[in-house]
Amino acid sequence: MWEHRCKVAVSGVGFSRVTRSADIPLAAHALEAVKGAVEDSGLALADVDGLATYPELPATGHAVIDGVTIVSVNCMMAMLKLPNLAWHVQVETVNIGGAVQQAVNALLAGVCKYAVVWRAMHNPKGTYQNLPGTHAQGATQFTAPYGFGGPGQHMAVAYTRWLERHGQSREKMATLAVTQRRHSHRNPHAYFHKVELTREDYLSSRMVAYPFCLYDCDIPVQGAVAIVLTTADRARDLRPRPAYIAGYGQRLAFEVAGRIGSLSSYMDGGRSSSRLTWERSGFSPRDVDVAQIYDGFSASVIYGLESYGFCKEGEALDFIQDGRIELDGELPLNTFGGSLSTGRIHGLWHIIEGALQASGRAGERQVKDVDVSFVGASAPIVQGTTFIFVREPY
Amino acid sequence: MSDWSKVTRPIPVPNEWTKPFWDAAKRGVLALQRCQACRRFQHPPYATCVSCMAIDLAFEPVSGTGAIYSYTIMYHAGDKRFAPAVPYASIIVELDDAPGALLAANLLDAPYTEAKVGRRVEVIFEPLNDDITLPQFRLAGGAN
Repeated sequence: MWEHRCKVAVSGVGFSRVTRSADIPLAAHALEAVKGAVEDSGLALADVDGLATYPELPATGHAVIDGVTIVSVNCMMAMLKLPNLAWHVQVETVNIGGAVQQAVNALLAGVCKYAVVWRAMHNPKGTYQNLPGTHAQGATQFTAPYGFGGPGQHMAVAYTRWLERHGQSREKMATLAVTQRRHSHRNPHAYFHKVELTREDYLSSRMVAYPFCLYDCDIPVQGAVAIVLTTADRARDLRPRPAYIAGYGQRLAFEVAGRIGSLSSYMDGGRSSSRLTWERSGFSPRDVDVAQIYDGFSASVIYGLESYGFCKEGEALDFIQDGRIELDGELPLNTFGGSLSTGRIHGLWHIIEGALQASGRAGERQVKDVDVSFVGASAPIVQGTTFIFVREPY
Repeated sequence: MSDWSKVTRPIPVPNEWTKPFWDAAKRGVLALQRCQACRRFQHPPYATCVSCMAIDLAFEPVSGTGAIYSYTIMYHAGDKRFAPAVPYASIIVELDDAPGALLAANLLDAPYTEAKVGRRVEVIFEPLNDDITLPQFRLAGGAN
């Protein structure tokens, strides 16, 4: 087991308004989320001495404008003018989960006391993915000429492989979309908070990239979420009950840019990340009381459930049936609604929900008797990270 | 069957790692990067052998027959230039000669409903302009 388990905790969490597209600069969303998280902790902004984010703009072909389409560490420094700032980082690999892990490391190293991590996501007006122009450079030279555009198609081919290899049917995924939407009715911050989604809606929705229909894809939104991380002893002196980080991991399987469709890449990535998380925390999938698994596309949940070890390969679509992922089920899943229902804010919202469930702060969607809370914060391939939060240090 | 005649495809831009692939395709030959140490093929081309770390890599012809590893049917033209062809099949092919090296392509000369995992396919060549010819695939022995 990891000697540093439960030495760092998530304290406050914050949310901005989530809108369909950009009507105010993204920096305003990020500021709202960060101030909310600091206030939730009961801290003053001047207490914050660490900053971390993953600022990437996933909408391709749009200008990267700091404060408008991304919110960098520099932008946050400019807004907050923190008098005690002691450490910051902006990660390149493994998405926002990597920024959280770097903050954990900085706290363990004693180079800061209260670190804030945010993820701000821009949704440009007009087309989300502006695909290559007349020419396809780099890795896209082997994909774009064939009409492989956005990440959805890349993930769709892996999902087709999974479905046909295991003799499964995509209709079973309706359970995931509908259950998560029901969960989001208990999450006032979710974009689809009050919008119903029925099994019939899912089954009759338009196909985007087979096997993905519209409701297999998260909806692009403009918004931000944020957390305060601190050492366990400091967290205990703050207002919220801490959610202790018992272990984490990141994907260690490499991927070659432009090699798409490989189902084994998702599985190898997820296994490599979760193995370390289980080893470091000393838990196994059987010990988990509630799970948040990244769902930018629905199939990510399937790869996650299998590669993290919650069920066997080929069985995830059966595993999610029969009430198992309901709030009172055997493994309540994406209890905040997931990205499919909150909107596309990447994995920090999954991390927030994992922490809230561990600390008993999830309000009307709180799962009973949570001791061990699992998070898979990105698609297991390339950007995957995994976390375990616990209610009590051990 | 998808109508590709009105689709303007993005033109691949060869670089120093990928130029031999496109030079071969222009001659009607499918050639993949092969590690001269461990003899494994890999695609897309990479700076080193991702299997054994060797840096001695060369492009060698392959037979051009294989099986559909996976596919997606595109209904939503994210790239508007492909709108005239929707729905169309974008496939991933695993070649008999190069297990693990996955090639993207379209399934040509067949309805998109013919795309299935495991179905046998063979390479054909689609010239885009005087410099670039695109390897594509059709059902093996299935078209004229």
